[in-house]
Amino acid sequence: MDFRPSSAQQMLVATAREVLRKECPPELVQRLALDPRGFDDTLWRRLAELGWPGLLIPPEHGGSGGSLLDVILLVEEIGRAGLPGPFVTSAVAGTTAVLAAAEADARRRLLPALATGERLVTLAVLESSASFDVDAVALAGAVPGRLTGSKLFVPDAHVAHDAIVAVREQGDVSLLLLPLDRAGLARLPLDTMSGEKLFELTLDGVAVSADDRLGRAGEGRRPLAAALTAGALARTAEMVGAAQRVLELAVEHARTRVQGGRPIGGHQAIQHACADLVRDVDAARGLLYAAAWRVAEGLAAEADVAMAKAYAGEACLAVARRGHQIFGAIGYCEEHPLHLLHKRIHAASLDFGDTPLHLETVARAIGLA
Amino acid sequence: MDFGRSPDEEAFADEVRRFLAEHPPERFPLDGVDAGYGSGAHSHAFMRALGERGWLAMCWPEAFGGQARPMFLKLVLLEELALAGAPFGPLAGSWQTADAIIAYGTERLRRELLPAIARGEATFWQGYSEPDAGSDLLALTTEAKRDGEHWIIRGHKIWSSHAGVSTHGLVFTRTSREARRSRGFSMFVVPSTTPGMDIRPIRSLTGDIYHYEVFLDEVRVPADLMLGPEGEGFVALLNGLDSDRFWGRFYKAPALLRVLRRLVDYANTTVVAGAPLARDPVVRRRLAAMAAEIAALRLLFYRAACLLRDGAPITYETAVAKVYADETGQKLARLGLELLGPWGALRRGSRAARLDGDIAHAYLTSLGHTIAGGTAEVLRTTVAVRGLGLPAEPKAR
Repeated sequence: MDFRPSSAQQMLVATAREVLRKECPPELVQRLALDPRGFDDTLWRRLAELGWPGLLIPPEHGGSGGSLLDVILLVEEIGRAGLPGPFVTSAVAGTTAVLAAAEADARRRLLPALATGERLVTLAVLESSASFDVDAVALAGAVPGRLTGSKLFVPDAHVAHDAIVAVREQGDVSLLLLPLDRAGLARLPLDTMSGEKLFELTLDGVAVSADDRLGRAGEGRRPLAAALTAGALARTAEMVGAAQRVLELAVEHARTRVQGGRPIGGHQAIQHACADLVRDVDAARGLLYAAAWRVAEGLAAEADVAMAKAYAGEACLAVARRGHQIFGAIGYCEEHPLHLLHKRIHAASLDFGDTPLHLETVARAIGLA
Repeated sequence: MDFGRSPDEEAFADEVRRFLAEHPPERFPLDGVDAGYGSGAHSHAFMRALGERGWLAMCWPEAFGGQARPMFLKLVLLEELALAGAPFGPLAGSWQTADAIIAYGTERLRRELLPAIARGEATFWQGYSEPDAGSDLLALTTEAKRDGEHWIIRGHKIWSSHAGVSTHGLVFTRTSREARRSRGFSMFVVPSTTPGMDIRPIRSLTGDIYHYEVFLDEVRVPADLMLGPEGEGFVALLNGLDSDRFWGRFYKAPALLRVLRRLVDYANTTVVAGAPLARDPVVRRRLAAMAAEIAALRLLFYRAACLLRDGAPITYETAVAKVYADETGQKLARLGLELLGPWGALRRGSRAARLDGDIAHAYLTSLGHTIAGGTAEVLRTTVAVRGLGLPAEPKAR
């Protein structure tokens, strides 16, 4: 057992922390939170120059061939900085789906542009059941033919070029890769409390052909599951990173905020609250790393991933709420970073399966009938 | 990073499981109760069996009769024993005492006590707390005065676990008055049979005897039974307490996993209102959430273990892990009681008891866990002050 990241991973994390400190300061995060597009092209290009979107992509397709564990460490830093945008959607979940589903020529066509960050993909999985259970996919997909229906809670559809759309074909699940400017597709924004850019994707007689397939007919289940696993872990890393930031801010505040002649952190009520923040962050991080390591090693990890996401969903949200209590009134202000971190954690807790969904996976894994 | 067991660790785990299959833990006679920490009851017979396998001294340096095997094998042993519900109550205390003797024990302690520990014969009680020195340990008044080649100890210790069935006490005393409140303390290893010691049982709220109080009246102890440098016992004790939090709780996660598995089995086989309890979505979620908490707990301890192994500084990690262990245990016991309903309240041996009455026992014993070995409150303060650098409250003088 060893909790230490490799030297290459340490370098990745140190670089990420430094770059994000300089180029994604709290002021930028604030501005993007209030910006309807919520996406900074210059910053995205900068991250692309660093090779981040290509981290999971093999070198022969222009990436650096990193492991999911590497990506998780990077996303933890992204969460800590509060960087908004499509990294998890496109560079982690979408890219994982392409890697798992696409055949040789599609890989050659799609992966290089994903690796450079020029092409962004999103995932259109959820429907009115709002369940990430693959069996809940109902949108009927006749290929060739026309698609009519809707997908919900589709992230970053305003900046993505394509959507990986999960459809049901003859009782099984298939994946289609549809350009978002295709006739009949509309992206209708949802107004989220977090400021996350989510859309309803409506499909009104959208023409699809065999060329739109990502992988073979009826074989979408496995790549979709891989994408959901990667997405769940990345969102968990985002929660852990954001909760770590809340902890750092709260401890700094407790040290420096003086009331009644002494720092509030000199009182046991605040000290004990801060001690609980450390516990929650450390415990969530342990489960995250262990699960990501298992995935990266190719070991069975379904229950580990589910535990990590379910646990972080509860623990990191508790950190955010406790943080509000430590900060008092200032934490209630729009200009203070706490609410953005809190909202990000909440959004991440829902994405790629909420806590009840993952707990059900755990329930089966521990042998409940 | 690496979150698996090494091939050596896996092979050793197999060896331990084979031993447990050949020597079912329930067949060993017990001499002290199970206080619910996860290490089971106090059993000299079981300790001797571990000693015969060579497992008690396996990680000691060869010069001290050990095999210098990696520390993580101890963790494997503790995990496997706890998963099997074995009675290894004194094990962690024996290991800690041996480590202290190897680090700074006298020739006599090394010569006489280490072999007895290796054979599983010597087990230890802690004489730290006193009636007026609990969370404020430095308020203790038990004194040792030098008398030639001996020290004479006078005082009153309390909450000493298994003192009536262990062979030696670790008695923490004041040996001088110094300007600094934390100076002037020394530790002695005192055979429980030493004249002048009166070891009296205290009945716990479980109805069992686990704690004792010990009256020391002119107890003469040879000077070479002092453990550690004279007057600097508190520093040694603090290190000991850090390791106490680790070794005294490491096995909680596997022990809780064992309880969880029994509750899963119970939920699968118990029909309520026409359906198995396991089909109740609330029950499913709560048991699943406990599984995640237990897994998180295990990793908190393994992270601390890596720091211990690598000699990295520990400021708060064992304190966080200890509090989490105890509070998770309390939560699981509460959940167990709820699942069992009226049956949960039936004690071991009662007519109609379910799960051997173990849940009621776990619930009651768990009440003491957030107090013993540092209260949850003291430890949260430790985390905040030592780990996070928050300002300490003014100290008593």
